[in-house]
Amino acid sequence: MPTLKIDNREINVPAGTKVIEAAERLGIMIPRFCFHPALGSVGACRVCAVAFTEGPVKGIQMSCMIDAQDGMVVSTTDAEAVDFRRHVIEFLMLNHPHDCPVCDEGGHCLLQDLTVAGGHGLRRYRGLKRTHINQDLGPLVQHEMNRCIQCYRCSRYYQEFTGYRDLGVMGIGSRVYFGRSAPGMLESPFAGNLIDICPTGVYTDKPSRYIGRRWDYQRQPSLCIHCSLGCNLTASARYRQVVRHEARPNLEVNGHFICDRGRYGYAYASIADRPRQAMAAGTPGPIVDILAGAREAIQQTVEKHGPGSVAVVVSPRSSLETLAVVKEACGQHGWTGPAAAHTNRQALNRNTAVSCLRPELAVSLAADTEAHDVLVIGADPLNEAPMLALSLRQVQRRGGHVIVIDPRGVQLPFDFDHWAVHPSAMGAILQALIQEIGGHRATAPDTPATFDITKLARRLNASPRPVVVCGTDILTPHEIALAGDLARALRRTHKVAGLFYTLAGANAFAAALLHDQPVSTEAVLDRIEDGGVRLLVAVEQDLWREFPDRKRLQAALKRLDHLVVLDYVDSPLNREAGHFIPTQPLYESGGHWINQEGRLQAASPVMAGGEPIEITGGSDHPPRVFDRRIPGDEPLAAWRAVAALAGEDEADPAPQLKTALADFHPAVNLSTPEATGQRIDLEAIAHDLVESGPAPEPAEDDAPADAVVLLLVDWTFGTEPLSAMAPALTRMEAAPVARLHPDEIARLGLAEGRPVTVSLNGNRLTVPVQADPRMAAGVMAVPRHHLLEWQVFGETRVIVKRSQLKAESE
Amino acid sequence: MSENKIKTDEKPLKPAESSGWSALKALVEGFATTAKHLARKPVTESYPEFKRQLPERSRARIVLTRDPDGRERCVACYLCSAVCPVSCISMQSAEQPDGRRYARWFRINFGRCIYCGLCEEACPTSAIQLTPDFENIQRDILTLVFEKKDLLVDGCGKDPSYNFYEHAGVTTDERGKGEHANEAPPVNVKSNLP
Repeated sequence: MPTLKIDNREINVPAGTKVIEAAERLGIMIPRFCFHPALGSVGACRVCAVAFTEGPVKGIQMSCMIDAQDGMVVSTTDAEAVDFRRHVIEFLMLNHPHDCPVCDEGGHCLLQDLTVAGGHGLRRYRGLKRTHINQDLGPLVQHEMNRCIQCYRCSRYYQEFTGYRDLGVMGIGSRVYFGRSAPGMLESPFAGNLIDICPTGVYTDKPSRYIGRRWDYQRQPSLCIHCSLGCNLTASARYRQVVRHEARPNLEVNGHFICDRGRYGYAYASIADRPRQAMAAGTPGPIVDILAGAREAIQQTVEKHGPGSVAVVVSPRSSLETLAVVKEACGQHGWTGPAAAHTNRQALNRNTAVSCLRPELAVSLAADTEAHDVLVIGADPLNEAPMLALSLRQVQRRGGHVIVIDPRGVQLPFDFDHWAVHPSAMGAILQALIQEIGGHRATAPDTPATFDITKLARRLNASPRPVVVCGTDILTPHEIALAGDLARALRRTHKVAGLFYTLAGANAFAAALLHDQPVSTEAVLDRIEDGGVRLLVAVEQDLWREFPDRKRLQAALKRLDHLVVLDYVDSPLNREAGHFIPTQPLYESGGHWINQEGRLQAASPVMAGGEPIEITGGSDHPPRVFDRRIPGDEPLAAWRAVAALAGEDEADPAPQLKTALADFHPAVNLSTPEATGQRIDLEAIAHDLVESGPAPEPAEDDAPADAVVLLLVDWTFGTEPLSAMAPALTRMEAAPVARLHPDEIARLGLAEGRPVTVSLNGNRLTVPVQADPRMAAGVMAVPRHHLLEWQVFGETRVIVKRSQLKAESE
Repeated sequence: MSENKIKTDEKPLKPAESSGWSALKALVEGFATTAKHLARKPVTESYPEFKRQLPERSRARIVLTRDPDGRERCVACYLCSAVCPVSCISMQSAEQPDGRRYARWFRINFGRCIYCGLCEEACPTSAIQLTPDFENIQRDILTLVFEKKDLLVDGCGKDPSYNFYEHAGVTTDERGKGEHANEAPPVNVKSNLP
């Protein structure tokens, strides 16, 4: 622990800390361009020069390149050092173009700040400015190479940190160029971070290009709700429109970065067709009347058919506040639900994962990167939870090893072992692994010889820090529980072994705490079909888009006496509903979310709501007539609307929310502000949910040999319903295709590029076929793409016989 | 009380000064001055019958000027709205098909403007300028909210020559990379020559 003196203040730092970081701990911000806490030092920009007056190092040195050592005396204000830095800034500005007024970085530009701080105002150099040709880097990142100061942050981030190779450095001398070998879309789904890390305006945000200045934005800490990882971000809004997301550093969750799905998925909150008007049977009306009407309809149904005839479904994406108020309402009134998962399997999967996540095993996304060996089971990180892939990349960079056991053609931006095994074999492999780790010789399951379980068990046993990552989408509850058992078995031989589940929905963890007995929409539909449920309240759950059997859903909704929908996305159900109540997305309501490792996190409201000025002004200036009300300000926070439906007339819902949150679950304690940002009390969660749930569905063992398992899967872009509404991201997504192993295509008599029709129980799904040699045999992966009507089979994992597949001619 | 007594340095008047003569003298002098000024030409001007040409730098109604080649100068950089102490300027920047940044709408609320001229000082493109036209009075306050069409004038105003896009290295329909003032031709990154 070296002790050094910076600007006459002593500080003790861990060995290996750079002087620039030591100064930062004292609150002294030494100028920097190339140094970044996530990327480390290179000493390229020379602007962090400080004077070392005493100790092992003497003279002007780069503070990012020198490790803090005992006895060092550092001066950041030394006249020679200040002069050195001033000259470096002037030097970096030699070729910088005169375009700050039209540069989107202006206002939050590090180069701009340091130029002003260094006192450089007038260009003394008389020579010509170097210029560069820009490249089109796709719909997310705008390139302007003239502004570059050669700090190398972009190429280091892109190639070293994320592991992609298509953007890098070219040229020599003063002609150094950062870009792609040819213009084109950036391949990395983490490319948006280039915008954050570039200290000047070489990479700027393309969707928010020329929208405004940071000083004009309403900025608040927010969360990403496009997967379950709960990455932290800062949301910016302007003129009642969400315009930008930036990564918000949280070293316990997402580090310094976020993925592009999270960065650009915000458009749903401000698009023109976002419903903002309360409706009764499609007719607009004042929200107070509609709420009263809906409450009356609920009361009538309860009077006629009993409280159980009212059912509530809620989204695992909704805030903790909404879930708590919904739970309270159902508990108080005896309504059916709330259901916060689509199918029984999904509900059971989620609850199994949550119950298996013991506090001693849970690891955070950031702690993942410190693992030595990671075993990924039934998860496709890049597609399901992209930041997990970036986390795993760091494991590989630090010399760790990643093994993925998944039937899909999993791709990651680094070298890893992929065991493409059939879904039905997953359980056997896991069981064998657990036995081997426990020191017992396992009877090898029927898998190819390349998948050497003994070797894998030995590797995991020898690893100083193994982590098991497990998905909950394509697996069965049994396999999810086995992943937990595997982590426990590893913990018996290791002091540190981690378990990391990914879940479906940003608040799926909290949704799992709604009941001991998981309830699914599927179960609610059963009750509707047998006449038990007569009124359905759908809270921020767009069943139309997300329930995997649209035909059955529509038939069931027809049997209902009444449908009440509360949502912030446009859906045909909104107009069919007896009562529709518009709600606020998290940018307006704020709230708490619990991510997949059980971390409770808060998002602040960013703006007050109302129709964006872009829309009210018709892309021109704002209207010249003034009103006391903001147009389109009717949407309520979902918890307020639910409280209004469940509570008394005109009652203030705030105390109701307080008691609902207090009663939500003993593991979740919101009473102290310190609880936010921390993991909830996992010990307080019942760890026997698995046994109490309905029996697992039969495995695919009895399926005929020529059958394939059809998996409905996630893609990075295009499948997550909210982000799929963002115009920038729709340009990133690929067209939906069914992926199969090439041998499988031949075996089934299909042709690559040609559509295949899957007919099952009278439902049909037609989708083009694509060969993917990384896929397991006997598996067909179809994305839940918004351009594909995938909502046909009622399940996201189904067995399809050879006879049910038909190759289409075109 | 003695502290409350106002102290004055005035000496008591002499008998001659308080006499009738001195009073008469002052009266005559006063009338003489008045009579002299009655005969003189007035220094004030009768507004609005007479409208004087104000100095070029007087600060009144704000306009948006154009480049020498007639294009809009404003690049909607938001510096004027940021510096405005009364927040009377609002705008929305956007991109034109030719690559130029421009104000899709630009609004100044003259009901709020204090004509301090900070916007003109902050403007990096000489677009926003204050003119001597101070006759900007309306009965309806809303008519004092000027939109871009009301603000935009033909001509360069006080800066006859500046053209921002000649200097900024941004590609537009007129200039590509290396074609702006003081720019070298674009670098050939594929070259290995030193």
